[in-house]
Amino acid sequence: MSVEVKNVIKKFGRFMALDNVSLKVESGELVALLGPSGSGKTTLLRTIAGLEFPDNPGAAQVLFYGEDVTSIPASERKAGFAFQHYALFRHLSVFENIAFGLRVRPKATRPPETAIRSRVDKLLQLIQLEPLATRFPSQLSGGQRQRVALARALAVEPKVLLLDEPFGALDAKVRKELRRWLRQLHDEIHITTLFVTHDQEEALEVADRVAILRAGRIEQIGTPDEIYDRPASPFVYDFLGNVNLFSGRVKDGSVVIGETEFALSEKTGELDIDAVAFVRPHDIRITRATGDQKTFPARVLRSNAAGPLANLELERLDGGGSFTVQLSKEEFLLLQPKAGEQVFVALKNVRVFSEDYSI
Amino acid sequence: MLPGFHLTLGFTLFYLGLIVLIPLSAVFWKTTTLSWTDFWHTITQPMALASYRLTFGTSFLAALVNAFFGLIVTWVLVRYDFFGKKIVDALVDLPFALPTAVAGITLASLYGQNGWIGRLLVPFGIHVANSQFGIFIALTFIGLPFIVRTVQPILEDLDPELEEAAASLGANRWQVFWRVILPMLTPALLTGFALAFARALGEYGSVIFIAGNIPMKTQITPVLIMGELDMFDYARATALAVVMLVVSFVLLLVINLLQWWTNRYNTTNLA
Amino acid sequence: MTPVISFHPHSPAVPRRSLSEPPFVRRVLLGTALGFMALFLVLPLAFVFTQAFAKGIGFYGKTLSDPLAWKAIQLTLLAAGIAVPLNCVFGVAAAWAIAKFDFRGKNILLTLIDLPFSISPVISGLIYVLVFGAQGWLGLYMNADHPYLPWLANWLNDHDFKIIFAVPGIVLATLFVTFPFVARELIPLMQSHGRQEEEAARVLGASGWQTFWRVTLPNIKWGLLYGVILCNARAMGEFGAVSVVSGKIRGQTNTLPLHIEALYDDYNFTGAFAVASLLAFLALLTLGLKTWVEYQHNRLQERNPPC
Repeated sequence: MSVEVKNVIKKFGRFMALDNVSLKVESGELVALLGPSGSGKTTLLRTIAGLEFPDNPGAAQVLFYGEDVTSIPASERKAGFAFQHYALFRHLSVFENIAFGLRVRPKATRPPETAIRSRVDKLLQLIQLEPLATRFPSQLSGGQRQRVALARALAVEPKVLLLDEPFGALDAKVRKELRRWLRQLHDEIHITTLFVTHDQEEALEVADRVAILRAGRIEQIGTPDEIYDRPASPFVYDFLGNVNLFSGRVKDGSVVIGETEFALSEKTGELDIDAVAFVRPHDIRITRATGDQKTFPARVLRSNAAGPLANLELERLDGGGSFTVQLSKEEFLLLQPKAGEQVFVALKNVRVFSEDYSI
Repeated sequence: MLPGFHLTLGFTLFYLGLIVLIPLSAVFWKTTTLSWTDFWHTITQPMALASYRLTFGTSFLAALVNAFFGLIVTWVLVRYDFFGKKIVDALVDLPFALPTAVAGITLASLYGQNGWIGRLLVPFGIHVANSQFGIFIALTFIGLPFIVRTVQPILEDLDPELEEAAASLGANRWQVFWRVILPMLTPALLTGFALAFARALGEYGSVIFIAGNIPMKTQITPVLIMGELDMFDYARATALAVVMLVVSFVLLLVINLLQWWTNRYNTTNLA
Repeated sequence: MTPVISFHPHSPAVPRRSLSEPPFVRRVLLGTALGFMALFLVLPLAFVFTQAFAKGIGFYGKTLSDPLAWKAIQLTLLAAGIAVPLNCVFGVAAAWAIAKFDFRGKNILLTLIDLPFSISPVISGLIYVLVFGAQGWLGLYMNADHPYLPWLANWLNDHDFKIIFAVPGIVLATLFVTFPFVARELIPLMQSHGRQEEEAARVLGASGWQTFWRVTLPNIKWGLLYGVILCNARAMGEFGAVSVVSGKIRGQTNTLPLHIEALYDDYNFTGAFAVASLLAFLALLTLGLKTWVEYQHNRLQERNPPC
């Protein structure tokens, strides 16, 4: 494996930023560190870069391609780091910002001026900012600054690329463009990359694998499909998108919500416990008649069909509270539910978590 | 993790100790060579008490006058455009930049009986040189920049919408100033006042030439200390110095609190 | 006490405001402000230069070319020449430690650095007399019957080692009164810059020195120059503290401000003002440079705001 972190503990005062974290990233992989603010994701990234050092240097390890770099300072680690607010050198031009890492090398390993120029030109081409080489950072837009920051990090041919909230400070449209560009860039140059984000959509779209952090621990790591479809905990479920919670009981491979029994995807064995069922809004179907499906009745409270998807808010008739449903525009137009109307609700992909048990 | 923390902090502490802390501690060492009665007698002798009254009184008055005129100067510099504004703005710092000895002989001559201003005042029976009024003039001269430079940034950053809001609610210009602008400037104005006051208390060079240094009448505390030093009575000089140091430290504390208040005031207002 | 001269970027143009005072009030305020400034600042300044040339240019030249005056100029340049670079190094080191790192007791350290500003110049001189004077620690040591390290005491006595009433005392007193200037300018400036650019430089492989020279220094150069200018003005103009430690031996331990006092006390007023005009010119130069540096700094901030 190319980058590995073992048993890292890091505290800031009394705040536990990293609570014994271990993580492996394969060579050429693009991994997202996803979590709410304060979950330790940026601290983990900075620890890999050598900008923070573990509190337990004996037990903790940071390995680059098997080489122990735990106590090596940032300047010798050869990790490319792009900062959340870019940290471009404001007194240097775009060109000189990108060239910086090459110019500060000791004379023996510093490339000649012509080599530096051609390397920077190549990177400018890669980030599509050749005409702006002589501009200063303050004359660039946010998206352009982020690309310069990336090029600057890449100029030193890093062993690993570390991006801290790379799109955090950009507006929605630029964000989407730039993350597609990042994915393409990664497919071109195949550099081992970790990036931090608090945006689940971004993590699921861009990354090969996603590590979800919570309170200084890695809650789950896996491919986007794995973590979206099989969340390991209610936290992950909740963090990865909207979810409805139905309290009920788990019994012999099925869950009972109100008076209706829904089959679970996996066998539970002999069990009879209180549990909470998690269902995503788009895994709920609405019909006017019960039919063969297992359903329970509910009343439509309100609906909103602006955009490609329609969102409905429904209320259980048995007093179990309200929940949201997402329908495609076609389904919605076909059904045309009215506020106050009674409908029947079917669930699929039901996952159940109880305090000591999860399926 | 940036490098150089131990090196720079180590050097900072070493240099601070060498130049400031160790020499300062000598004051407290020297004080202990005096008995408590001697110490008390030195700092409460009539000449010392008179010098405290004079130093505090004139410093306070000078800071007060500066607060008033300094506020007007700041207002004019921030709010109005006029010819030569940049030069006037730069000139505000003259008392900082002009060596105190130069200020001292200049004010003494200017306000002396034959000086440009002194000459004009003599017919009215006003004698500035060798009087408490002269000390007040010197302390006013050195205090002006403190007020202007503390209030200026606050006034510059004051949101015009606040005044517009007050005006739209029916306040006239004076009410806007008195009820909206002045309260927001108060912490900075007090800080500036305290800084000017503290500076005036310790002032020496610009005062001695104009004051005449008549014991019990126009002798400020630093001059009294200087007198003891000239007589090589270091213990008594140190005793008086301790009084001034204690006052300085208390003022330093007050100023820090005021600045903390100013900052807090301005950040809450931004939110 | 914080020095108030600090680097605050002025907004030179008056922002458009919909509200203002009636023209009459404006005129009164403007008149009061300019009148006050003219009376307290411009008039004394004009007075210095008029008096300096009261006995003609010949007398002026003679006063300044006097060997005693020349000696005073040399001593003033020497004291400033030592104090400014040392306090500059200190200022940069202190600002680096305080602005780029977090540690306990930072606020206490900041207050201690400011301390020399809040102490009367006379006391600033006094403390060095107490340490190095004949009745001070050094004097006690040199005159002790059984000193610790007798060879050192003998050496000091043999060489008639003197700090007080000699040049070293003047340098030390100057160091003390100008101690906070550079640090005080740099600390807030470097704090406002944060440490991201330095971290970026480190990750790109720059050594500690390279990070400082190539990233930190270009960002603080105007603030540093500003501190140096103020530090220098005070170093050359200090009177009270130097007057305590100097002993005022003419031609030996008199700095320019002390030389002015000596001439004034001799009733050579025109001579005193002639020398004073040198320092007044230095003050004007300081104000001019200060304004220029502020302008440069603001321009830099506008062109390259933090990104």
